[in-house]
Amino acid sequence: MAERMEMSEAEPEIGSFHPSVMGPDAGPPPRNVQATSVVLQAGLPAELPREPITQPEALPRERRGARRLAAGERWIARVLRTGAVTSGTLFVASLALELLPRDESVHVAIDLLRKGAASMLLVTPVARLAMAGTVLGLRGEWRYAAIAAGVIGLLALAVGAGFQA
Amino acid sequence: MTVFLLMAAGVLAGGLGALLGIGGGIVLVPVLVLGFRIPLEQAVPASLMCVVANSCAAAASYVENKLSDLRLGLTLELATVMGAIVGGLVAAFVAEAMVAVVFGLFTLFVALQMLLLRNPVQEPATAANYVPGNYPLGISGSFVAGGLSALLGVGGGPLKVPLMTYGMRVPFKVASATSNLMVGVTGAASVAAYAWRGQLNLGLVAPLVVGVLAGASVGSRLMLKTPTAVLKKLFAAVLLIVAGQMLWKGGEGLWPSVWK
Repeated sequence: MAERMEMSEAEPEIGSFHPSVMGPDAGPPPRNVQATSVVLQAGLPAELPREPITQPEALPRERRGARRLAAGERWIARVLRTGAVTSGTLFVASLALELLPRDESVHVAIDLLRKGAASMLLVTPVARLAMAGTVLGLRGEWRYAAIAAGVIGLLALAVGAGFQA
Repeated sequence: MTVFLLMAAGVLAGGLGALLGIGGGIVLVPVLVLGFRIPLEQAVPASLMCVVANSCAAAASYVENKLSDLRLGLTLELATVMGAIVGGLVAAFVAEAMVAVVFGLFTLFVALQMLLLRNPVQEPATAANYVPGNYPLGISGSFVAGGLSALLGVGGGPLKVPLMTYGMRVPFKVASATSNLMVGVTGAASVAAYAWRGQLNLGLVAPLVVGVLAGASVGSRLMLKTPTAVLKKLFAAVLLIVAGQMLWKGGEGLWPSVWK
């Protein structure tokens, strides 16, 4: 049952072709199909039918890893862009409020907007670092996940101790 | 009027910082101090905030275009932060002027090398097409860069980009994009320290960051199209400015004792 499930997972990637056949164009002409299959069935050992199960399984796993990393990189880019755009928008709004007549409420609003924008900007690179560690960790690259955690820990230590990293 | 001039300074710093991976503080601090008569204690944290903004805006585009090397960035980031902490610890025991002169001379050497030497090898276009080498040199160099950052207040970019390019054989554009990714983290930590001490003037930061975000957006698009040779020449010119600043800074501390 498990083997069948693995085969069915692999099928969309390689279609119905043997892994050594790279694509539909590389196969033998249709009129020779019967003759070829007869030779294979007669001449090869019994273990061979297992090969198409293991080989196609290895390829999608690699592809899945690459796809996951690419998706992770897109998320990292989104985190960075969201932080930059949100912070920029808040700063622009605070500058626009400076055009209004000055009173206490406007002053408070400007202050709040700027503090929010600055906080957003400062949190963004750390969020990016955490996301990069998570993405690489999910991919099984634990060394880089540990490095990311180490950098965040050291930064917290440096900021807490008042050093300028 | 001042707000628009600050925005223009931000656009210039953001564009240059995104193109070269140096953050832009190297441009902003002299402009703010000499052009706008802003005290250095306010100019430095404001420019660091702009470095963070620049890193966020430009790195988004570089990561998307697979120009930033995440693994290399993480590895060197760890060494940089460790170096910065050690630099902060030993700052009281080191002659700052002497360090500035040595760093200035080193930067001058790298700048001249970039200007005079030709690199005939065609560089790969993305981070996927190469393998960085000589990690021990890269890690120890990043440690030194972090230490210098804490001792002299310079960003790590001007040191790390040549280190990755010449020391680790990383393509220049990848080195620049990876450096851009890294300076954001160290910059954020530095700004947080300044903010805690109440030295962050948000009224000054607001127009600068708006300008930097616009400049970084343009710079990150330009970098993809600009030939590497042009970027290297531009980087060498910026390094010459850094060398001049460092030699001046070191000279101020050293020359009086020499004349005596």
